[in-house]
Amino acid sequence: MKLKLIAVAAGLACAFAAQAQTLQDLVRDGNGGSTDNVLTYGMGYHQQRYSALKQINKSTVKRLVPVWSLSMTNEVGEQGQPMVYNGVMYAANVQRVVAVDVATGRQLWEYETNWDKNAARVVCCGLSNRGVAVFDGKVFVATLDAHIVGLDAKTGKQLWKSKVAEWKEGYSITSAPTVANGVLMTGMTGGEYGVRGFVAGYDPQTGKELWRRFTTAGPGEKGHETWPNDDSYKRGGGSTWITGSYDPELDLTYWGTSNGGPWGANWRPGDNLWVASVIAIRPKTGEIVWHYQWTPAETYDFDGNNENVLADMTIGGQKRKVLMHADRNGFLYVLDRTNGKLIAGNAYVPVNWAKPRIDPALGRVEETDVAKRLRAGEKVEVQPRWTGGKNWFPMAYNPNTQKLYFPVKHETSIYQINKEMPAYKAGERYTGVTNTTKDRDPAEAWGYYAAFDPMTAKRAWEVPQKEFPMWSGSLVTAGGIVFSGKLTGEFVAFDEETGRELWKFQTGSGVTSQPITFTHKGRQYVSVLSGLGGGTSARRETSGKVQRGGSLWTFALMD
Amino acid sequence: MTMKRLVWWAALAVMAPAAYADMEDTPSPEQIKRGAALYAQHCAACHGPRMADPEGAFDLRKFPPDQRSRFINSVTNGKNSMPPWGGLFKREEIDSLWAYVVAGEKK
Repeated sequence: MKLKLIAVAAGLACAFAAQAQTLQDLVRDGNGGSTDNVLTYGMGYHQQRYSALKQINKSTVKRLVPVWSLSMTNEVGEQGQPMVYNGVMYAANVQRVVAVDVATGRQLWEYETNWDKNAARVVCCGLSNRGVAVFDGKVFVATLDAHIVGLDAKTGKQLWKSKVAEWKEGYSITSAPTVANGVLMTGMTGGEYGVRGFVAGYDPQTGKELWRRFTTAGPGEKGHETWPNDDSYKRGGGSTWITGSYDPELDLTYWGTSNGGPWGANWRPGDNLWVASVIAIRPKTGEIVWHYQWTPAETYDFDGNNENVLADMTIGGQKRKVLMHADRNGFLYVLDRTNGKLIAGNAYVPVNWAKPRIDPALGRVEETDVAKRLRAGEKVEVQPRWTGGKNWFPMAYNPNTQKLYFPVKHETSIYQINKEMPAYKAGERYTGVTNTTKDRDPAEAWGYYAAFDPMTAKRAWEVPQKEFPMWSGSLVTAGGIVFSGKLTGEFVAFDEETGRELWKFQTGSGVTSQPITFTHKGRQYVSVLSGLGGGTSARRETSGKVQRGGSLWTFALMD
Repeated sequence: MTMKRLVWWAALAVMAPAAYADMEDTPSPEQIKRGAALYAQHCAACHGPRMADPEGAFDLRKFPPDQRSRFINSVTNGKNSMPPWGGLFKREEIDSLWAYVVAGEKK
């Protein structure tokens, strides 16, 4: 009997170990699950990047010190969000994935992604990778040359590798994959190279493709009528380079789509669904259940990929299932995520191409004379610059204060649609515009770090960023702290109520990534990748002032 | 053939590539134009339209005109964040780009 019991117990232990992270663990991550783990992109399928941990708080943060640092042997930039499971951290950049013991910082294994270096020429904005997905004892990562790989989480051994798309046709992948309802999903990029965007679903066990949902509506699909009656939808852009969020109850994932291709919309007249939109995709089938278009007839390089943060928010005394999104186009949106209807849409930075408030009854932006002149071929000044009031780095949302925290940029472009339609050649740039940056008034702040009310886009506080703008993701905690990073290398903690800088640490290179927090043996840790790179709009100014070189940092309170 | 003549011919043979390279350094306006077109299509996104707004990429207006082989090597094989272009450009296209970079943009 005793032996039998032991055998059963051993069997159970094996089963548990073999299953490792379950779908339920993923659903509970950042949603009542163990704070020892970080299992999803965005610290929860909702991507709120909020933690209820408060060991590190306004009064203790001054004792925050680094406990270890690991070189990432990489000079082209760190944008990733690390994951943590059972005391092991998984971090990635474009070159490699590493598994690290969270207590000691010792590396357990390394997997080099070994992509075709020629693929770098179809990447518009820096050689980036934003991290891994973890599920069922496996780690998943995409490669720059558009493959996806499944690894054994214990050893780093490659279990399978699947080609997602052909880089020679302009496709690459910089985003972290995600697992939703048992399906491994990946986006792709290439909106500057005449690609047709898609999201694809894979079997996490084998790497077999289950479905592929294109983001430009083809013949026979609803939405195709928003394209000209030719094959321009085949090169129409709409890439999906930021990981979608997921509502397990509605069983919908929410993916943003990029600019149209070519950039100049005059050669693809129409709204061009589902470019510059959010699409709600059923993970098992790839079906698009609803869409909302941020920028109809997009012609500004206003990618609509920025993260879609999910929350159950009280609006006018009613609990609403919302989706929040701060678009490159300068508008902060609140949508009903059950159906994609607009609840609020307001400019969060100076905007001149459209009226600064979207009429909810109309449900879409109204363009101004600036946009009309641009479409007529004039050279015009556009606010915000094509890189956006906010770029890809994810914001944080505190469900208790109902506020969003993120850095913004106040920049203006000089933009003109070329007279000639660009010729399409596979794997070559396909934009057809001429764009430069208007010189800034050095007396004005380049950008701000700010706390926003999602419904009005009003700032509760703002901290001007004069020397450089910020280009980092954020994290907010119940300890009253917002963590973010600077291009000059400082990892910083702001007071959530006032924006006052409470703490900072110089990480040695620019911080352009996504901080996380977790616990290990009862102690709260904060981790962040450091390493200047990617398509920051401050490359010129940081040149000669900030060193490159990636490293992974982990902090805790000094005993 | 005398020994003296043999040495003369050998010397000419060695000099010929150098002479050829020098000739390449005097590009035709057409070659500069071809280079400008290639630049606009493939290089302007990072190095700036008409080499004028390079942001953090190398400022090609400051590329030393006596370092042709360095230019060809960087374009062919890539450097730091710059991708390798050897798989796309033919050698004469890289020569055209060099011609354009050396000629510079009219103000």
